[in-house]
Amino acid sequence: MTHPYFPVLMIFLFAGVIVVSFLFIAQLVGPKRPNPIKSEPFESGNPPKGDARIRFSVKFYMVAMLFLIFDLEVVFLYPWAILFRRLGLFGLVEMGIFLSVLIIGFIYVWRKGALEWE
Amino acid sequence: MDHPIQTDYLRWIVLLPLLGAGINGLLGAILQRQFGKRAISFVACTPVVISFLLSIWAFINLLALDPEKRFLIDSLYTWISLGSLNVTVAFWLDPLSVVMILVITGVGGLIHIYSIGYMQEDEAYWRYFAFLNLFTFAMLLLVTADNLLLMFIGWEGVGFCSYALIGFWYRDHVNTRAGNKAFIVNRVGDVGFLLGIFLIYWSLDKAGHGTVTFREIETFVPLIKDLEIWGIGVVTLATLFLFIGAMGKSAQIPLHVWLPDAMQGPTPVSALIHAATMVTAGVYMIARLNFLYSLAPSTLTVIATVGALTAFLSATIGLVQNDIKRVLAYSTVSQLGYMFLAMGAGAYSAGIFHLVTHAFFKACLFLSAGSVIQAMHHEQDMQKMGGLRWRLPYTHLTYLVAGIALAGIPPFAGFFSKDEILWKSFSHGLIFQWALGFAAAGLTAFYIFRQIFLVFYGSPRADPHTQSLVHESPQIMVLPLLILAFLSLIGGSLGVPEVLGGSNRIEHWFEPVFGSPGGHENAPVAMEILLMALSVGIGLFGITLAYLIYLRKTLVADTFSSLAAGVPYRLLFQKYYVDELYQFTFVRGTLFFSRVGAWIDQYIIDFIVDGSAKTTTFISWVNGLFDNYVVDWIVNKIADSTFGAGDKFRKIQTGNINSYLYVVLGAVVLAIIVKLRYSG
Amino acid sequence: MDLTNLESLKYFYPEIILSGTVLLLVILDLVIQNKRVLAPFAALGCLLSLGATLQLYGTSEGWLFHRMVVLDNFSLFFKVVSLLAVLLVIWMSVGCHEIRQIYQGEYYTVLLASTLGMFFMASSTNLLMAYLSLELVSLTSYILTGSLHHNRRSSEAALKYLIYGGVASGSMIYGMSWIFGMTGSLDYAVIREVLHQGEANRLTLFMAFLFILSGFGYKAVFVPFHMWSPDVYEGAPTPITAFLSVGSNAAGVAIMIRFFFPAVSHLGEGGNWDFIPGVEWPHFLLMVSMVTMTLGNLCALGQQNVKRLLAYSGIAHAGYILMGLVVLNNIGLRAMLFYIVVYLIMNLGAFLVVIIVSNATGREDIEAYRGLAWRGAAVPATCMAIFLFSLAGLPPLAGFVGKFFLFAAVIKGEFYFLAVVAIINSVISLYYYALIVKTMFLDFPEPTDQEVAMTPTVFPLLLILAIPTVFFGIYWGPLFHYTNQSLGFFIK
Repeated sequence: MTHPYFPVLMIFLFAGVIVVSFLFIAQLVGPKRPNPIKSEPFESGNPPKGDARIRFSVKFYMVAMLFLIFDLEVVFLYPWAILFRRLGLFGLVEMGIFLSVLIIGFIYVWRKGALEWE
Repeated sequence: MDHPIQTDYLRWIVLLPLLGAGINGLLGAILQRQFGKRAISFVACTPVVISFLLSIWAFINLLALDPEKRFLIDSLYTWISLGSLNVTVAFWLDPLSVVMILVITGVGGLIHIYSIGYMQEDEAYWRYFAFLNLFTFAMLLLVTADNLLLMFIGWEGVGFCSYALIGFWYRDHVNTRAGNKAFIVNRVGDVGFLLGIFLIYWSLDKAGHGTVTFREIETFVPLIKDLEIWGIGVVTLATLFLFIGAMGKSAQIPLHVWLPDAMQGPTPVSALIHAATMVTAGVYMIARLNFLYSLAPSTLTVIATVGALTAFLSATIGLVQNDIKRVLAYSTVSQLGYMFLAMGAGAYSAGIFHLVTHAFFKACLFLSAGSVIQAMHHEQDMQKMGGLRWRLPYTHLTYLVAGIALAGIPPFAGFFSKDEILWKSFSHGLIFQWALGFAAAGLTAFYIFRQIFLVFYGSPRADPHTQSLVHESPQIMVLPLLILAFLSLIGGSLGVPEVLGGSNRIEHWFEPVFGSPGGHENAPVAMEILLMALSVGIGLFGITLAYLIYLRKTLVADTFSSLAAGVPYRLLFQKYYVDELYQFTFVRGTLFFSRVGAWIDQYIIDFIVDGSAKTTTFISWVNGLFDNYVVDWIVNKIADSTFGAGDKFRKIQTGNINSYLYVVLGAVVLAIIVKLRYSG
Repeated sequence: MDLTNLESLKYFYPEIILSGTVLLLVILDLVIQNKRVLAPFAALGCLLSLGATLQLYGTSEGWLFHRMVVLDNFSLFFKVVSLLAVLLVIWMSVGCHEIRQIYQGEYYTVLLASTLGMFFMASSTNLLMAYLSLELVSLTSYILTGSLHHNRRSSEAALKYLIYGGVASGSMIYGMSWIFGMTGSLDYAVIREVLHQGEANRLTLFMAFLFILSGFGYKAVFVPFHMWSPDVYEGAPTPITAFLSVGSNAAGVAIMIRFFFPAVSHLGEGGNWDFIPGVEWPHFLLMVSMVTMTLGNLCALGQQNVKRLLAYSGIAHAGYILMGLVVLNNIGLRAMLFYIVVYLIMNLGAFLVVIIVSNATGREDIEAYRGLAWRGAAVPATCMAIFLFSLAGLPPLAGFVGKFFLFAAVIKGEFYFLAVVAIINSVISLYYYALIVKTMFLDFPEPTDQEVAMTPTVFPLLLILAIPTVFFGIYWGPLFHYTNQSLGFFIK
């Protein structure tokens, strides 16, 4: 029992015991008189209205996702532009391929109608 | 050891039928639709015929060599190479296997041709021929294999084709059940066969030369001659195991039960697989390993006894069957018994000789029976036949020739081979076995002629409508019948024994394989001739008896003159009272003995049986208690708890993704705890 | 050799061809009205890629793209395996009614992209690359699983798969970050060197391995990371189930071998690998292997849905395959590779018969197989029997040979208890495989059971799968030789 961290372990255990026993005692001895008002979810004093789980249109997600993808891909253009001279022709061709792949994706999204709201 | 001569055409003998099977099996349905059944039969028959021609070529090549150097080998590739085990796929031809391939491709070819006519009406024509070809391939593989493992592949291959063809008309469950029966009974034998192979390999390996190749086993077998396990010689044990395999495949008592049921298949199949070739595989295997069996005299005695018992008992069963094919089936079992008797007597060449002649006449009998069955519109009950002689002239002729050959009447083929076996077993000192075989010879003659009389003679017992439609089979079926009948007639000339002025060519032909026949050469010639006369006599006696009982009783005199133009008949005819005498002595005598037997049965045996039955019942009751309450409980508990565990575990799979993740978390934590606890 | 980006392209044709096919498929899907050409086109791309892969045999081994991926016989083997799997799955998909309701363009595009991911899983030698490739396969698998968009089960399966996969790959990358923290590198070769100096804390290393294993384990489907698979296998379209069960399973095994053998162990004498002392991941895997096969088989016992049954059987097989890893030598690894090929063939075959039956009846429960052999489907029933018996490991079928090598490796490694457990498991598994066979052959169809007919494209595929199952059971020499040869890792 000479491990330097042994007291820490004891504290953990102690804390655990206290929490569990408090909950248990409260459950055991506390009076219970529920009424409709008490049973309502607590929303910082405002009367709750409606269900918290409402349905968003999936189209929001769609647009957000597409934006994220193309936005992120385009970010690659910045470092490329800065090093454009040093990369030379190789860099140009590489970026050309990259962009053409991206454009194929864009055409795909467009033609499939993912960008139309209705 | 001489180095065998390398060739490269043996493989085609074996592989051509496989090619046929492949084409018909994969494309058969299309071929049949596009080009008709003619194309199927062409694809199926051509390879077998070419194989036959190649076999003759191989035979000629062997003939050209010195007797001591008659080995041809054709190695394809190394199949298994594991440690000391080295197995090549190689085909091997020596005087023994060349005879086998000639029989397989020759008789097989004829049966293929016969099937063209027989199966004409069947929708699954292509399937039938694909299996028939596949069978031919497997059988050729079995006999040409140069090692035990490859032989085993062929062994299982023929078995598979046999099951498939027994259950060929699978829509009728009787047929599939017969196939299953054959399958299951053969498994028992195969266990023995495999154990035999393992034992041979294991012991040779222990002696430093692990091998499964026949020639190498022969070379190294002296090394294991004195090896023993559990006090029994390894060779004796291995040969016994292998014999169990042979018993299964060759339908020896008590593993014979599947063969009569196998008659559910199409008749040409019965002829090819269940009479001429596959069932003789066991005989071939023992002949192939004769060098091993010769070292195990006790095994040989077992084989001779089992063979003789089989020959006798199944012949007695054959006496009372009414199904035309069943009689032949029991007859086949009985004849196989003869072959094993020969093996047991060390008379390998006589056994193989009988195998060959039996292939001729039994195939002929089956095919003729097929012709009868087809003529009678699939009627197989002999009681409903009769008087078919004029309507089926060719079938009648071939049936008669083959029947006489089976009955062992000279100069037909069966006489020489069967007599050789009986003589060899007698001169080998196996008197009891000889006596059984001798009695069986009489029974054989009796039942086959009973059959001939019932089917072809007498007045027609079929209903008039069927009778009016009876017609001879088409030429394509008759031709093979005639060829086989001819072979049954002259086949014996291969092995005319010395005492009859022959030179026993087949025995000399086999000398390189089986060694010179020795020992009984100085047995008295007079004895041999006497025995020969005796066995002919009992054969003729059987025929006469059959005649007197089945024909004489039912027919008027005017048909008598047309019956078997042989001497025996006329002799007996003139002494007509002999008929009554026989009727009185044998039939009454038999009845009397059977009454005595019944009495003994009823009062003495029953008492013993009852007593022992009660004891047995008591023991089995105790046993049953143990079984029900202890064994069953354990077994059930194991099964239940396995299932129960399955159910419990499946409950973890709630479909709730959260709980899935908790499981992972729990497992990771558990792993860390275990790690900390045990290796800190 | 250690090549830069431009130089590497020469050894990169299989991947390039596959990527090109993916892009062309997207374009084709947009311009072409007749969607039937897409499947043959995808297959053509795979065939070209396969050709290019085979072309690479014999060229020198080495690192590509600044040591991101490696070219060696091991990676080529898995490329061949994934391409074979995807080719067979494309063929299966053509004959599957379920797949006809799906958007064809997306389906084949994503399928090929997934294959591309598997390529990288087998060949990456960099933690980041390994992670990305695993994610590529995972993301495409989620889409494929959910591709039956009007089927609630399919969508539910995809969502579960996504959540589960997210957690698994999250913990994996967490483990990888620990490794990076300890060694200061993502490169396998460097990691190995640093770890073998023996300064890393054993406990930390163990936990890092544990986290990484949770990612690999989820791909290779072993307990306790298997929980997603029954739901996903049941919900996904059957060809995809087949693809996941063989392709992604194989890729999971590949990435695991790649990480645990060349990356953290040393190849010692006689093909034995020495792992870092004090880190008992092989012991952990030993337990996992036993639990995996036992649990898989036990759960399969009472299963009524054949697809779900095959899912559990797949878990059990993952357990068998894992045995090869435990023994820590090349004999075991070779047996694993051998088994992967054999399992690919027989499992795809079994799923193909599931497709045939569900095409005709629309059902996947065992009842739908009642008397199959007597309902005009004798050939599929027979083939199914072959596949199932092979899965159970009965001779003379390929599955037997595969199991034989695995068991032999285990026994040779003197893990007798494991061998006994595996053999008991084989016996248990025989029960449920044989049950299906019994239902197909010995039970008789009721009047209500439909006839089962095959579409013409399916029949040759059935033979293509059934024949090797038998053939490799009899003559496994060449395959064994090939797997033996494929055990070449490029290590420096």
